[in-house]
Amino acid sequence: MKMLQAMMAILSTTLLLTSCTKKVDLDEKVLNLAVGSEVKGMDPIYSNDRYSSNEVARVYEGLLEYHYLKRPYTLVPNLAEAMPQVSEDGLTYTFKIKKGVVFQDNKAFPNGKGRELVAQDFVYSIKRLADPKLQGLGWWLLDGKVAGLNEWREKNAAKDETDYSEEIEGLKAIDSHTLQFKLKKQFPQFLYSLAMPFTFAVAKEAVEHYGKEFLNNPVGTGPFMLEGGVFKQTAKRFSYVKNPTFRKKLFPSEASDEFKPFLADAGKELPLLNKIVVQIIKEDQPRWLNFLKGKVDYVAVPKDNFETAITPDRGLSEELAKKGIDLLISPSLDVTYTAFNHDLELLQNVNLRRAMAMAYDVNEMNTLFYSGTALPAQSVVPPGIAGNMPDYKSPYRGQDIAKAKELLAKAGYADGKGLPEITYDCPSSSTSRQIGELFKKQMAEIGINIRVVQNTWPELQKKITKRQVMLYGIAWGADYPDAENFLQLLYGPNKAPGANGSGYDNPEFNQLFSKAAVMQDSPERTALYEKLNRIAAEQAPWIYGVHRQNFIIKHGWLRNYMATDFESGQAQYINIDIAEKKKTAGKL
Amino acid sequence: MNIWSYVIRRLLYTVPIILGVCLIIFIIFNLSGYDPAQILLGKHATAKQIAEVRAELGLDKPLIEQYFDIVKSAFTFDFGRSWASKQDIIEMIKEGAVPSLTLTFPAFLISTVISILLSLLVAFFRGTFIDKAVVVKCVGMMSIPSLAYILFFQYFFAYEMGWFEISGYEHGFPNFIPYVSLPIIIMVIISLGPDLRYFRTVILDDIYQDYVRTARAKGLTEKVVLLKHVLKNSMIPIITYVVIQLPFLILGTLLLESFFSIPGLGGLTVKAVFDNDFPVIKAMTILSAMAYVIFTVITDILYTVVDPRVRLK
Repeated sequence: MKMLQAMMAILSTTLLLTSCTKKVDLDEKVLNLAVGSEVKGMDPIYSNDRYSSNEVARVYEGLLEYHYLKRPYTLVPNLAEAMPQVSEDGLTYTFKIKKGVVFQDNKAFPNGKGRELVAQDFVYSIKRLADPKLQGLGWWLLDGKVAGLNEWREKNAAKDETDYSEEIEGLKAIDSHTLQFKLKKQFPQFLYSLAMPFTFAVAKEAVEHYGKEFLNNPVGTGPFMLEGGVFKQTAKRFSYVKNPTFRKKLFPSEASDEFKPFLADAGKELPLLNKIVVQIIKEDQPRWLNFLKGKVDYVAVPKDNFETAITPDRGLSEELAKKGIDLLISPSLDVTYTAFNHDLELLQNVNLRRAMAMAYDVNEMNTLFYSGTALPAQSVVPPGIAGNMPDYKSPYRGQDIAKAKELLAKAGYADGKGLPEITYDCPSSSTSRQIGELFKKQMAEIGINIRVVQNTWPELQKKITKRQVMLYGIAWGADYPDAENFLQLLYGPNKAPGANGSGYDNPEFNQLFSKAAVMQDSPERTALYEKLNRIAAEQAPWIYGVHRQNFIIKHGWLRNYMATDFESGQAQYINIDIAEKKKTAGKL
Repeated sequence: MNIWSYVIRRLLYTVPIILGVCLIIFIIFNLSGYDPAQILLGKHATAKQIAEVRAELGLDKPLIEQYFDIVKSAFTFDFGRSWASKQDIIEMIKEGAVPSLTLTFPAFLISTVISILLSLLVAFFRGTFIDKAVVVKCVGMMSIPSLAYILFFQYFFAYEMGWFEISGYEHGFPNFIPYVSLPIIIMVIISLGPDLRYFRTVILDDIYQDYVRTARAKGLTEKVVLLKHVLKNSMIPIITYVVIQLPFLILGTLLLESFFSIPGLGGLTVKAVFDNDFPVIKAMTILSAMAYVIFTVITDILYTVVDPRVRLK
């Protein structure tokens, strides 16, 4: 009997504790985020995925950033006082650093008080990125570009310890607040590197104080500080608070037309939020349910909820609209594609490639896998950046079975006769497999026999590098908003293990690309980009898929939020309308 | 035989087992042929940097030296840092083990107790409608995929009814309770079917033995026969079944942890496999093998407790 009583007591206590579910915070400006994957750590030099780079950019800052309210994407100074002075030969970039910027208070500094940021901090941070002992994941950004940096890296690879004291010709602190870069050759995209978290400023004291645990102890100059100071990689929830020593930075007072409503906060001191709570929620259902309960401020509409949330004319369902929820649709700077392995003689046959491109029904793929929301790609450069031609239609964009058959016959394989089985390699997710199965079905319509091969991601990467694939399905997202970042995927010298996994090597394309890659932004460069884009369509080095679109829904109380491909640092501009939240959150 | 000398002897057996495990994972890692350097460097990898990273990870060392590095880490418990995240592996495991256990251990305990009690009950009603109904129910419950339970319970009880947190976790007692309650209930329901069917079979195997007839002939009540005689004699297969599951509790449950955002070890190994993060795969495999050996020893010792006829040799 006593045992039964004890069990009942335990059960009732548990039920009591269980029933205390957390309520939404209505008194503070708290941004509640749901993130779909683990964050590796908070060291800028390892932030090579969007999850890590977004977290790094809450605490750390760089010389430049993208103007929050301008499109096309425009670089503006962040820790730099102004945009750099560029020498006439386009090789020397001189930056003035803002004065009075301090690192967050931390025990790594004497008396725990953060010191002022100086030009030498950037020299140190960029050397860290180049340090061969650390193998920073953003080294590709600067590899072969800054005078003396590769030599310094090579020299130190042989040493037991990296020598940071050695001066580098192309990376100098001229005085405490003047920084100078000298490039080996013209590289107009260099400035984009300085807006990427890889090159953000870290303090030498903090790196030395925390040693290998520096990646879990972020100390930057940014608008937010990690609550508790220590990052735990396995944690599924962590938060940031306002950095009390953050410099006076104001909300922008200019905006492109579509962002004019955001100017209500113009001139206000940043950050506008008191706190950010980040939850790692990998699965769609809990992310969606937490959003509907008001515990997450915005989410991408999951595939399984698309039909119920979005109307056929791409509007928000009435049920969600009644709850004060808004829909945001924005194109993503990316491209999905099926690449041919150009090392294989078979696939060097341009008519065969064109025939397959004509047999591929991108609209069916778009309907099945993106609910018809994506934009069929005509070539490699996505809309929104110079080089994309909005009205351009590729002559080899399917589906046109008759023309495909004609081209196949021209290639020497009428009705597919004489063609061997062609393998299509894809990652192991069920969606990738289904996309592969659709491709197989479509190619069968012109007599081409495809075998879908699924691989784990490492396996697929290995096969691409070792040239053990025939066709493979993959996607590319922009590192920075410049067509060069997409066109380099077809540049011969970038062959695998470089980014040109297909091994496409066209002398005409290579020559034009080499020319465009060193040109400053200008109508001439745009014309060259467009020419390259046309070649990429007509030669069909890939079968183009789609440029995806983001369908994001957000609660009405979330202000100044927009979907962007470059989210780093975004949170400082976001605002929460507390009154609106109090009004609507209780009804959810 | 002295129990301690038995334990020490059995634990010494772990040495060749661990050496073997190290060899197997080393061979598999090298046969798989994926290049971790390329995976780490991602889409911008160059041949030169791949070579540098391989050197930095020690992959350019002679194979025998690489094997002894694995063996060394197994005996020093110094598994180094993850290649993918650069985090200290032992810290990752320590931080993940507790949340996993707060979910799996109570669920395991509850489902085991309920299954044994119910199996005794159905054994009591063997052959009747109740027995058949329970067996059919068990098969029915086993036929439903665990994902269906998770999706439905999370939607209905956490979202619609608001009785539980939808997802998340807080460290420390009793903070974690609201977060693990629903996953525990789901895990109990998922385990109940197979556990109950297994325990029922074990008990029914015993219930037709001669000693049970003797006990009944002596006039003992059915309750005493079941609880004192049958249950005690069924304990050896039950203990084998139960104790051997214990090491896997620490490893967590992939689906539940993923859907409820519990920061356990459930996804750690799977993610490591996808990232080809060999140090993490190595650590998890070696620690699992050790835990398996230790719990096998515990099972052997428990045999002697429940059945005096069993002697440790």
